[in-house]
Amino acid sequence: MKKFIIFLTSFFALLVSPVFAGGHGVTKVALVPGGPHPYFAAWEQAGLDAVEDFGLGKADYRVPAEWDLSQQNELIESLVGQGYNAVLVFPGDAVGTNKILGELDDAGIPTAALAGCVEQPTQAKFCFGTDTGHSAYLGTKELIKALGGKGKIAHFTGFLVDPNTTLRINAVEQAVSEAGGGVEIIQVIADIDAYEPADEKINAFMAAQGSEVDGIVTTAWVPAVVAAQALTNMGDKRIKMVGIDHDEVVLKAIKDGYVHGTMLQNPYGQGYIGSYVMDKVRQGCEFKADAPWKSTAQTDQFIDSGTVFVDISDVDTYVMAMRGISLEILETFDSTYLNCPS
Amino acid sequence: MNNKIPNFVKTNQFGLLILVIVFICIFSFSTDGFTSRFNIYALSRVVALDIMIGLAMMVVILTGGLNLSLGALGVSAAMFGGWCMESMGIPISITIILVLAFGSFLGWINGFVTVRTGVHSFIVTLATMSIYFGFMTLLTEAEAFRKLPEAFTDFGSLKLFNKYISPLLIISVLTCFVLYYIFKYTDIGRKLIAAGANPDAAELSGISVDRMFIYCHMLSGFLAALAGIMLTARIGAAIPSMAGHLGFDWLLPAFLAPVLGGTLLSGGKVTVFGTMLGAILVTLINNGLYLIDVGEFWVRFFLGIILLGAVLLDRAREYFTVKNSIVS
Amino acid sequence: MSALLKKDWFGLGLVLIFGSILISLFKPAFISPFNLYVLMLSVSLMLVVAMSQMIIIAIGQMNLSVGAIGGLVAISFTGLMEVYSMSILPAVLIGLLIGLACGFINGYITVKTGISAFIITLATLYIFKGMNLGITEAQPFYEIPEAVKFFGNAKIFGPIPYLVVIPIIITVLMWILMNRTSLGRYMLAYGNNVQSSELIGISSTKIVIYAHVISGLLAAIGGMLVVCRLQLGTPNIGDSWLLPSFAAPVIGGAILAGGKVDVIATAFGVILVSIISQALVIFKIDPFFVQIFLGFMILLAVFINRYREFREERRTKVFSDE
Repeated sequence: MKKFIIFLTSFFALLVSPVFAGGHGVTKVALVPGGPHPYFAAWEQAGLDAVEDFGLGKADYRVPAEWDLSQQNELIESLVGQGYNAVLVFPGDAVGTNKILGELDDAGIPTAALAGCVEQPTQAKFCFGTDTGHSAYLGTKELIKALGGKGKIAHFTGFLVDPNTTLRINAVEQAVSEAGGGVEIIQVIADIDAYEPADEKINAFMAAQGSEVDGIVTTAWVPAVVAAQALTNMGDKRIKMVGIDHDEVVLKAIKDGYVHGTMLQNPYGQGYIGSYVMDKVRQGCEFKADAPWKSTAQTDQFIDSGTVFVDISDVDTYVMAMRGISLEILETFDSTYLNCPS
Repeated sequence: MNNKIPNFVKTNQFGLLILVIVFICIFSFSTDGFTSRFNIYALSRVVALDIMIGLAMMVVILTGGLNLSLGALGVSAAMFGGWCMESMGIPISITIILVLAFGSFLGWINGFVTVRTGVHSFIVTLATMSIYFGFMTLLTEAEAFRKLPEAFTDFGSLKLFNKYISPLLIISVLTCFVLYYIFKYTDIGRKLIAAGANPDAAELSGISVDRMFIYCHMLSGFLAALAGIMLTARIGAAIPSMAGHLGFDWLLPAFLAPVLGGTLLSGGKVTVFGTMLGAILVTLINNGLYLIDVGEFWVRFFLGIILLGAVLLDRAREYFTVKNSIVS
Repeated sequence: MSALLKKDWFGLGLVLIFGSILISLFKPAFISPFNLYVLMLSVSLMLVVAMSQMIIIAIGQMNLSVGAIGGLVAISFTGLMEVYSMSILPAVLIGLLIGLACGFINGYITVKTGISAFIITLATLYIFKGMNLGITEAQPFYEIPEAVKFFGNAKIFGPIPYLVVIPIIITVLMWILMNRTSLGRYMLAYGNNVQSSELIGISSTKIVIYAHVISGLLAAIGGMLVVCRLQLGTPNIGDSWLLPSFAAPVIGGAILAGGKVDVIATAFGVILVSIISQALVIFKIDPFFVQIFLGFMILLAVFINRYREFREERRTKVFSDE
């Protein structure tokens, strides 16, 4: 047992690495998602590219081990100890995360919400992400267009405890109500942001209602993957589906014609531009009083990172499309939003 | 050979204390941020919660049972509190009393069903876990209560002792002392322990074991509800997902703290301060693993290794003390 | 007939038959071939998982790490094929080996230290799941060979998927193990009462380790079957296994103290849970309810079992009075 302790201790000692890399004043950004999820994976490269392109000290992708506000808070608290001096965070909770952001602000560390917003009042400098409600709305519009303005649709979405879920359900309803009487939502299946339950429920749905339903809109990553897979397996090209995000399964199903299209988000741009802006803020830049913020249900300091509908015609070039949007935002960012000391 | 080693040294708590000190030394020397005011304050808050969760599990382990519904129960109680304060406008002090009563009631359900069916509390609380959590999401529609009275949320971010310590920690430590007193010096406390240690003998000596077990489950519900309130104050909102899906995220600290602290899973033994030290150790290690940067994805792995190491170490210590006492 | 009535699975079987008839009267889609196919898929996956837990319940313990083993094997299996371009058979073998090793670790530590399996498997749950996350960094593996995909989706004939073959074989083997072999009897004896079984001279070490190894192997098979089904190796395979893994054996009439498990009853438990979760979707019941439903079902099963035991006790008392 003693050996075990010695092993443990020396093991930890070996793992200890110098935490403070650069000198004083170098920006070290931590990009913290809500938990492990493939959506955020692009942040890692985005951070590395930002270090290269903008001369930051660090822009590291740091993932809480679980989807849990407390775990995320503990991670963020420890990041301060590790010398990070700017934090970009996907809020574990739209209100709950504000508390830790306030504490970071007290400690002189600027923060911003990335990919999802915190509710005001908040100490976060801004929110940079996809307008999830709007994206769901646009996706549903595309689906209705593909259906020719009439038909029965189903909506598959994520965790009920995720505040975005309610926004998405409402947005889909809104798009449907605007389509006139021709379109009807026959079922909403929620709380399926894990593969196995999603597989079970979506297939059960297909079995029961597959012959009635004409279109499917999915507004969360996992249901999109599973529904795309289900349609591919069934070999069904009658049911039109609009997915979300860029999982390989969804993209392949678009190419093969089983899925009509997908609503892409811009995680790479979020990480890349977000890191850049945090560096600017640390150099003393202030946001302009008349900056053209967008307003959402949660905040009126929102910057849209862009969302694009992609179908079979441009699925191969979607990366370029997103990069184009990112560069566009970046080019005009300083002049649009910032007042920097000369 | 007389027994020269003082008894305290042989106890589990002593081993834990050494480990805590060792880890504090390692982390203070090897990382820059560990002793910062920010980090210590943050640690004190996490420790406070882990202690409370650990105690809530400990009092059920006393019966030889488990309470899987702990997290779901705590969150349900916290959401109830949020509803009282935000939707009903009930004053904070009355809300807290109501929440604690509500938690005790949910605990009573666990205890009642366990005692009446004679089924292991693992299965009963597995079922009530999904029932409590299900009803909670159904009734709240998974909406958080975010507009709580400021006096309440401010308490969660209050900083005491030169801004090093959260008042939540003081609540937890006080709870430890109260529980210690109950188990050590009161009639009911001794009955609880007797019922857990040897139900048949306790029954023969006139203790209603069933009633004692129900009390334990009620106490567990009470403490889980208290933890729920504390977490609400810390976050500043009552959020359905604050203990993870089905409240599962509370389970690891809930088991780690009492087990490391020397509480026997077979029941009949409680170690209040051991649980406290266990919670401190777990929090320290968790924090340290982040600070020394093992990579977030590996944190769980190391937590598991450390839990395993700790229970093995404890087993080895028991083994050696038994051998020593045989020799002497 | 009266012998049949006493079986755990008899009541459940009746409930199943009447329930199915009732559902299909309201919703004929329930007995459509595609629905039966979907139902069989979900039953076959859960069957393996439930068996993996059942064998540990048989020896009076519990295994919290079933899902974590399944997840670790699932990502190792797909990772080997994608990253090291290994062919299917060796990848399956290594997957099984990992499951076996995980089970062995659980069993060995439990039996050698005498620490409750609950705590040991809670620790290994974190270790296995931590390894899974550490290896994958939460990213799924996508490159699945066509043969694996085919196995996960093709049908033998009618609505019967290939995927049911392995679970059925496993169920039969488990039945033979528990009812026709001395090892199975020893396991049940151990679960019933450790001392008396030791008196007969069985090595309890062996029993516990065998049970955990079988549990690990079954969890591994479960993980790989899910990969076939989902056609991707995602790190969160197995996360949702815990509740159903206990629900099926408990609903099927196992009592958690061990020593009384019934393979057929467990299988019926799995089918019941699957039918109910599917019926909830078919009847468009609020998703919030699903969770509550499963909880109440477990409690109901617990009360029914208790009531039956109570009646049996009374009956034996009456007899002994005579």
